[in-house]
Amino acid sequence: MTAAGLRLRATAGSEWIKFRSVRSVPAVLIATAIVVVVGGVLVAAGFRSGWSTMDAADRAAFDPTFQSLRGVELAQLFVGTLGVLTVTGEYTSGLIRTTFAATPQRAQVLVIKGLILGAVVWVLCTVASFVAFFAGQALLTAPARHASLGDPGVLRAVFGGGVYLLLIGLFGVAIGALLRRTTAGVAGLFVIVLVLPIAVALVPGDLGAQLNEYLPSTAGMEFWTVVPAGDHTLGAWPGLAVFVLYVVAAGVAALVLLRRRDV
Amino acid sequence: MSTISQSRRARAVLASEWIKLRSLRSMRATLAATALFSVALSVLVCGPVGAHWSTFSAARRAQFDPVDSSLNNIQLVAVFFGALGALVVTNEYGNGLIRSTFAATPQRGRVLAAKAVLFGVGALVASTVIVLAAFGAGQAMLAGRAPHAGLGDPGVLGQVLGGALYLTLAGLFGLFLGAVARNTAVSVSAMFGVFLVLPVLVNSLPKDALWQHTVPYLPSNLGVSLWHTHGSLFAAPWLAVVGLVGYVAVLGAAGMVQLRGRDT
Repeated sequence: MTAAGLRLRATAGSEWIKFRSVRSVPAVLIATAIVVVVGGVLVAAGFRSGWSTMDAADRAAFDPTFQSLRGVELAQLFVGTLGVLTVTGEYTSGLIRTTFAATPQRAQVLVIKGLILGAVVWVLCTVASFVAFFAGQALLTAPARHASLGDPGVLRAVFGGGVYLLLIGLFGVAIGALLRRTTAGVAGLFVIVLVLPIAVALVPGDLGAQLNEYLPSTAGMEFWTVVPAGDHTLGAWPGLAVFVLYVVAAGVAALVLLRRRDV
Repeated sequence: MSTISQSRRARAVLASEWIKLRSLRSMRATLAATALFSVALSVLVCGPVGAHWSTFSAARRAQFDPVDSSLNNIQLVAVFFGALGALVVTNEYGNGLIRSTFAATPQRGRVLAAKAVLFGVGALVASTVIVLAAFGAGQAMLAGRAPHAGLGDPGVLGQVLGGALYLTLAGLFGLFLGAVARNTAVSVSAMFGVFLVLPVLVNSLPKDALWQHTVPYLPSNLGVSLWHTHGSLFAAPWLAVVGLVGYVAVLGAAGMVQLRGRDT
């Protein structure tokens, strides 16, 4: 094995130990999966019990797949915070100095951190999304409408739950590496992901709606939506592309700054 | 212990907590950013309405409420106040200062009470200024071109002061949440969860009997009762104040128990 290959293995090994041995990580991951499923079940049950009070327009716009996956909205808090902490935790404890002394290839460290977090979050959240989908559809008995995996766009949307959370986690890693402080990282991520869409939606007229669909989280949500909501919608794949673009831009900025700044 | 030393101790605790509160670097910056965000959003929401009012349809005109439009930024600003409140406590756990604080004042409950009193008064002043500024900026964008409101109009002062009270209570909610969680990342993301994600999630559900008996009593929806023109689905303003104070009191009690029962 080449020297570069050995170093890669060593970095991956040490990053894996750091990831799994932080005491709160397994608890947060379990909570994430539970929240995806429980959130979806509660929303589906809410629509089933309130179906008779919905008017024809609401029933026509009802998206059973999207609604059964809405636990993802809660889960993004856990996954995003975990992503930020993966980087900022080391800056808080000072471990980052040791890490970069051991592996001066800083970009390699950050990329491997992202890969490990991303792989774990993607596998876990994909499984949780499927569980939430099946549980939600089982609850949406007649007269409420339900979806099945064979319907157009449904399989993509259910996979979309895991993909969206994976990207939120990576966005958190990038923002954590940019800001290097836990409070700033967590607040910055959630201002972009949660506050901006609500703020922009308050602005009246076309400007607000058009701006909103190009925000990271609004665009990303398109990927786990089957029935488009409202007049302005990008569509699933363009939405995913916009979200990926934001995450890649943040990641590249983080990698550039990581090499230029002192630890 | 004599009464003099008691009052001296209380003054000393208040003084040291005040120094810590006003010298926390992120406090002023975040407050300034919050004020800017609130006023800017009010202008962005009201500005287009003032500019295009003559082109609005009758249905759109009937839906418009000038007070709500200048105050609806409060639903977002509440999260910033909560995060600031949490930082007042968790910052000390983060940098280890809490050990010196409790060595100097072993009466831990008093330390938390002093933090809550000082932050609560500061938050009430700051939130009143911010809400008044957002209201004034929004109405200035509407004045002369679209329906607008003044503080003297019936109910308006109540909505403005209700909004300020809600922001203060959201800040105290965050402060006591910080005392329970003792961790910045946990308490800040919990504030985003309780005050932003949860309402978006459940407010979109069909409004059947179960919804009407539960969802209006979430902290953020009790806040809506205070600053929003009263809608039939939401709790009465007096009930909202009682409910919010109740949430803060329960969290405060939990924070006190945590402080006494745990090591720093």
